[in-house]
Amino acid sequence: MSNGRQIGEAILDLQNISLRFGGVKALTDISFDVREHEIRAIIGPNGAGKSSMLNVINGVYHPQEGTIVFRGKKRHDMDTHEAAEAGFARTFQNIALFKGMSVLDNLMTGRNLKMKSNFLLQALYWGPAQREELEHRRKVEEVIDFLEIEHIRKTPVGRLPYGLQKRVELGRALAAEPKVLLLDEPMAGMNVEEKQDMCRFVLDVNDHFGTTIILIEHDMGVVMDISDRVVVLDYGKKIADGTPDEVRNNEDVIKAYLGVAH
Amino acid sequence: MFYREAGQFKASYRQDQQIFPIRQDRIAIALILAFFYLVVPYFASQYWLQGIMIPVLIFSLAAIGLNILTGYAGQLSLGSAAFMAVGAFAAYNFVLRVPGMPILVAFILAGLCAAAVGMLFGLPSLRIKGFYLAVATLAAQFFIVWALTKFPWFSNNSSSGVITAQKVEILGFAFETPEAKYLLTLAVVTVLALLAKNMVRSSIGRSWMAIRDMDVAAEVIGIRPMHTKLMAFAVSSFYCGVAGALYAYTYLGTVEPEGFNLDLSFRILFMVIIGGVGSIMGSFLGAAFIVLLPIFLNVSMHALGSWVPQGISSNLELIVFGGLIIFFLIVEPHGLARLWQIGKEKLRLWPFPH
Amino acid sequence: MQFFFEVLIGGLLSGVMYSLVALGFVLIYKASGVFNFAQGAMVFFAALTFVGITEMGVPFGFALILAFGAMILLAIATERVVLRPLVNQPQITLFMATIGLTFLIEGLAQGMWGASVRGLEIPGIQDEPIAWMMENTGIGVSKFDLFAAGVSAVLVVVLAIFFNKTRVGRALRAVADDHQAALAIGIPLQNIWRIVWAVAGLVALVAGVMWGARNGVQFALTFVALKALPVLIIGGFTSIPGAIVGGLIIGASEKLGEIYIPPFVQSTFGIETSLGGIEGWFPYVMALLFLLVRPEGLFGEKHIDRV
Repeated sequence: MSNGRQIGEAILDLQNISLRFGGVKALTDISFDVREHEIRAIIGPNGAGKSSMLNVINGVYHPQEGTIVFRGKKRHDMDTHEAAEAGFARTFQNIALFKGMSVLDNLMTGRNLKMKSNFLLQALYWGPAQREELEHRRKVEEVIDFLEIEHIRKTPVGRLPYGLQKRVELGRALAAEPKVLLLDEPMAGMNVEEKQDMCRFVLDVNDHFGTTIILIEHDMGVVMDISDRVVVLDYGKKIADGTPDEVRNNEDVIKAYLGVAH
Repeated sequence: MFYREAGQFKASYRQDQQIFPIRQDRIAIALILAFFYLVVPYFASQYWLQGIMIPVLIFSLAAIGLNILTGYAGQLSLGSAAFMAVGAFAAYNFVLRVPGMPILVAFILAGLCAAAVGMLFGLPSLRIKGFYLAVATLAAQFFIVWALTKFPWFSNNSSSGVITAQKVEILGFAFETPEAKYLLTLAVVTVLALLAKNMVRSSIGRSWMAIRDMDVAAEVIGIRPMHTKLMAFAVSSFYCGVAGALYAYTYLGTVEPEGFNLDLSFRILFMVIIGGVGSIMGSFLGAAFIVLLPIFLNVSMHALGSWVPQGISSNLELIVFGGLIIFFLIVEPHGLARLWQIGKEKLRLWPFPH
Repeated sequence: MQFFFEVLIGGLLSGVMYSLVALGFVLIYKASGVFNFAQGAMVFFAALTFVGITEMGVPFGFALILAFGAMILLAIATERVVLRPLVNQPQITLFMATIGLTFLIEGLAQGMWGASVRGLEIPGIQDEPIAWMMENTGIGVSKFDLFAAGVSAVLVVVLAIFFNKTRVGRALRAVADDHQAALAIGIPLQNIWRIVWAVAGLVALVAGVMWGARNGVQFALTFVALKALPVLIIGGFTSIPGAIVGGLIIGASEKLGEIYIPPFVQSTFGIETSLGGIEGWFPYVMALLFLLVRPEGLFGEKHIDRV
């Protein structure tokens, strides 16, 4: 459902993507595009290949066939570093936080690409290195404010409850000031209040910063509510693509998956 | 009661980022530094300076090096002694073959040589992890000691590779007394420790920890694993190299490649484990512990005299070391540093129980 | 040419001995996911205990049984004091604990039996060339080395059967995979670990007796374990046949390398100093190069990181 945002042209276009692991076909001939500033959901039953799709987009997996067109440039696959530099940030299904570090440090790593100072200057913690560190700290504190996690900023991440860890992971992605945010089941395992908070954050990010969001989610209510367009996968193949309403009424989708509203 | 933070507000991020944000800590560290720089050289005996203070400082430096590689960056290394050897022999050769080479420059160059060698043997870490990497570092350990012994050039054609460090002279002032050597070592170690502390709390340190904790996620954020790991090997080996140079110049005076054997690498690893993995201060605590423990055992054995059966007493060191490692891993995996922190927490509440 | 074969066979046979030690590692790793750095110390302890018992006048066979009993006790103690408190800690922590264990066992062994070097005789088998082979082909192959190879082969077959065909073996493999999951389905973790470490202790005893008879029972025995590491890398940490193949490769290449490489390098590069002694690091560098090509070893399992 759009709310006054201007949805732009397609910035990411996936064409005929196929991905195999040995004999297992994770993705078969998948094509869809993602428009700037939209919230695009990828849904499907377990094992449909949703996470693999996200991994292809930001370069963790390299598809055997297909083309990825990003900002006009065609390529066979993405490189993780290139993707990060181009403005992709993501969260993971099984929380990939740095458990040994505090919340603040985790968020600061999100800004790693923007830190240019030489390590020798860092060793001296002087001049440009110190200024840069403080400036990034300021930026990170904005994210901390936004996600309401001030009270835990010095806590080692490993000690936080699951819901807060997921929020911190979102924070780390946001700290990078991404153009495209890939969220892999950001609301999994949360209770109703936590989900509402998460939804609020996701919508705010999209609203205020215009960040394009690609979202994998199981909660149908959430998906139908906040997404602009939906792609449905089943057994590695695309079975529907359109607005939430179009998808909701699609025969194949209902057969494969929908059945019950959550 | 005394150790309260009440009233100490941080008005800026700059204040929050200090190494010692609590005022009492700043006073304490100033007192500690004053004690070691001003009081110790006057009152400590030759034995204490030569036999305890200097080796503790040198091993702390090596432990910081290993901590950076294994504790912060998560790359297990069993070859730290070999990099010390590179540092010692490099410093010796620079002073020997370059006329007028200032000793401090020689130390830095020695560290850089060790860093280069470290990066070379660290290349496998790009493909290999965990124990496999430990085995690769063993290759470094055995090869380097062998090469230093076999090729006479390194030891200026002396038999079995023994070298004697030249006199230490800076700007005409000769560092010959134990006090002088102690102060030089102290200065070098405190400066390098400060640099290390700064590094680990900056983005390079966070990159190391990210690679340690979850390298796939780190890569996705944009951290370059190759660059980060090689930096860890380079910096770590630099520190071990400088420690090795100091080992030859201010501690033993005469060293040979065999003296930098696997046993020494293990001792440094123990310092890191017992002192606290991933902690700069822990490196100091661990080094002090490992150096003092044999002395303590020796003294107690003499005190207990004939009560203890002969067989056990001579192997006690092995048993106690082994037992302590296991004990620390079970009870406090974060080592003495964590115990220290817990102590400070209790101090904050004192005299209240909670 | 004769000389080459002599060195080769000698290398292969000593490689079998490395395999024996590597086997102990593989067992423990396969069954508990722990990389037991203390295996070498266990070999030393076993050998020293055995020799100590025979010196007290106990006959060979009975001494073996008693020594095995000691290894069982060691296994139980290890499980109680080291493994149980550290259950589910990361692998690296357990590895470091076994480093501590190494020192502990070494100290204990020497403390109990003294540190002097002992000889070990296996009744009936001497370290002398096999007569008919010497006469017919001129190649000297030690009776003893052949015997050691035979014993190791038998042990390997028995262990392979144990792991793959028995119920206990299956339970061991489950435990190696995931401690908590194994506990959840009712596998008695503590018993399993005691069994595994006792079996590894038996392997250590056999290895200790073999190596002790060959080189004398002395502290240097603990370094044999270090040699087993390249064996594991080449063979794979989780493979019993891998330990054998790896051992053969390392044993042969180590001996051949020591004999043939230094003269070759010396003459090619015109180096005057004798470059002997490369045995110390050559297996490691070989293992390292091998790792770069095949990180999981010849027979090991590929490690997959799921994101």
